[in-house]
Amino acid sequence: MSTLLFLHDADVLPGPVGALSRLADDHTVVVPRHPGFGTTLDTTAEDWDSVADLAQHHLTDTLTDLPPAPVHLAGAGFGGWIALEMAVRAPHRFASLLLVSPYGVKLGGPTEPDFADILLLDPTEIVELGWADPTACHDLRMPGFPTGLTDSEYERAFTDRAALSRYAWKPFLHDPRLRRWLHLATMPTLVLAGSHNRLVPPRHSAALADLLPAAHYVEIPDAGHYPYLERPDEFHRIVRSFLNGETP
Amino acid sequence: MRLYHFTEMPYPDVPAEAEEANRGLKYFMPNQYYDPTIGHQLYQRYLDEYELADELGFDLMVNEHHQSASTLQVSATLSAASVLHRTRRGRVLVLGTPLPHRESPIRVAEEIAYLDSVSGGRIDCGFVRGVQGETFPSNQNPVHNLDMFIEAHDLIKKAWTHGDVFSWEGRHYHYRYVSVWPRPYQQPHPPIWISGTSTRLVEWTARHGYTLCNLLGTYEDTATSFRLYRRTAVADGQPEPGPDRFAYMALCHVASTEAKAREIGRKLMYYLKPGKLRLGAASPPGYFPPAAAVAALRGRLGAVRRMSYEDLIDAGILLVGTPDQVTAQIHRLYKETGAGHLILMNHAGDMTSNEVRDHLTLFAREVMPEVTTIGTDWRDQDTTWRVDQDQTPVRPVLSSALS
Repeated sequence: MSTLLFLHDADVLPGPVGALSRLADDHTVVVPRHPGFGTTLDTTAEDWDSVADLAQHHLTDTLTDLPPAPVHLAGAGFGGWIALEMAVRAPHRFASLLLVSPYGVKLGGPTEPDFADILLLDPTEIVELGWADPTACHDLRMPGFPTGLTDSEYERAFTDRAALSRYAWKPFLHDPRLRRWLHLATMPTLVLAGSHNRLVPPRHSAALADLLPAAHYVEIPDAGHYPYLERPDEFHRIVRSFLNGETP
Repeated sequence: MRLYHFTEMPYPDVPAEAEEANRGLKYFMPNQYYDPTIGHQLYQRYLDEYELADELGFDLMVNEHHQSASTLQVSATLSAASVLHRTRRGRVLVLGTPLPHRESPIRVAEEIAYLDSVSGGRIDCGFVRGVQGETFPSNQNPVHNLDMFIEAHDLIKKAWTHGDVFSWEGRHYHYRYVSVWPRPYQQPHPPIWISGTSTRLVEWTARHGYTLCNLLGTYEDTATSFRLYRRTAVADGQPEPGPDRFAYMALCHVASTEAKAREIGRKLMYYLKPGKLRLGAASPPGYFPPAAAVAALRGRLGAVRRMSYEDLIDAGILLVGTPDQVTAQIHRLYKETGAGHLILMNHAGDMTSNEVRDHLTLFAREVMPEVTTIGTDWRDQDTTWRVDQDQTPVRPVLSSALS
């Protein structure tokens, strides 16, 4: 059985959330936590200040721990950015690449922010922009969101935000070096976006797919930034087919 | 006790609906609401008031904020240059330069040394982290704020005192050749002031023997913060720190009657309106330790902003009243905290220049003579905060009112 290495987004709860657990019927699904977001490496990672550090970590430590089988690399949002950095560094290590509304590549001009300011906006605003149906929001954790969590859970959320800030504050949610190496990500690639995503606009994901050598772009209707949470059936159907080598 | 005149140089003419729509006056306020003619008149008026304060015997303080209608001071060192040029006598306290938000510590070292040299040593040099919201105008990573502050300070101090060309390749700053001209007039460097309340910063300030300033905190929080400083300094082997190591900033208005003082003094509430910033701006990622960030989330931060006008006067954060009443408040401030410097925010919002001038003149005539001797013979008189007599346990203090 091949392995699906899925790199998590900011603000998403740990583990195989939403559709990811269903993909475990066909694949060994591994969802490692990024250092800084609640791992045994958090103290070490206080000196890490770039997504390149995280890509290096996953390419060495995380991959070493996987079973000896083909690895499908995947990532959503912030995790999609890390996956892209890994894909251009070691394309031969991965059977395929799945990107769900990834951050990481700036396509607009200096006065055109590519991504919503997830380090300033209130959680309610992020839910509003990140879900087709904000009332259906689940499996996210942010400072003060959802209501009713304990102080230690909110401390975790603040610490996660601090880690994200360390990796992604400036340049904001992108690495200017990444775009010039995108041609190296030659593995079969699927770029997914929810039609209602206003954190990473679908047109950004579509334009990014055009810059990748072997990428298809698929838009999932009635979904926002987290289609694996909001439209798990549709997400599972599309991704299962892609991982089986079928052309979308 | 030394007394400092201070205004943030606000721009009071922003329409209320624009303030509402932009979550307050700071950091995210469109500059279409700034009128260049009004701005010029305001700058000249505020500098005139600094000139009067100097003549009346006050020392002077300047600061800076960015992208803010509540502060037209854009660089504390530029403001200090203007105030120095207009005045002859008072010391000019630069409180302060927000080190993590300035790209170049070397440039800060040069500017302070220049001001000190030109003025023949009238400069007190404050360094600050920059309040939380300053993160957005400067776009410096809030996670590194305190580390950048300390590294920038270390570099500046070495640049003033080393005497030879040196190289600095640190975590946040890189210069292969450093040798700042001029060196400061006051040797080895001007007195250094720090404002802040976080445990790590207060302990660091104490170990360096710098003056610690509390801005608009409750007297209890201020005393708690100063207690940590005194204990840290003594544990570090220093002599017991005197009042000259401690400063407090209050809002102030005196008038001949209590009713008149309270009527005009109400305008000082301009700076203490409840914060409207998003949590992400009031508590940027990593700026506070996680427990303090949760306290901010739970509404335990900025409690001063929720106090009523009357309660703020009772608490002495607003020094408002007749000269006798304000004199008594200042004695109480000293008794409870041991502060030897008092920064008076003598102006806010749309308070008129005549209101400020009348206040300054009355204060100088009737309050100043009554309070300048406070703290000068502190070893004999004072008991509440002396290290030997104070058994209260040390505890952490949340950030002050400002954001």
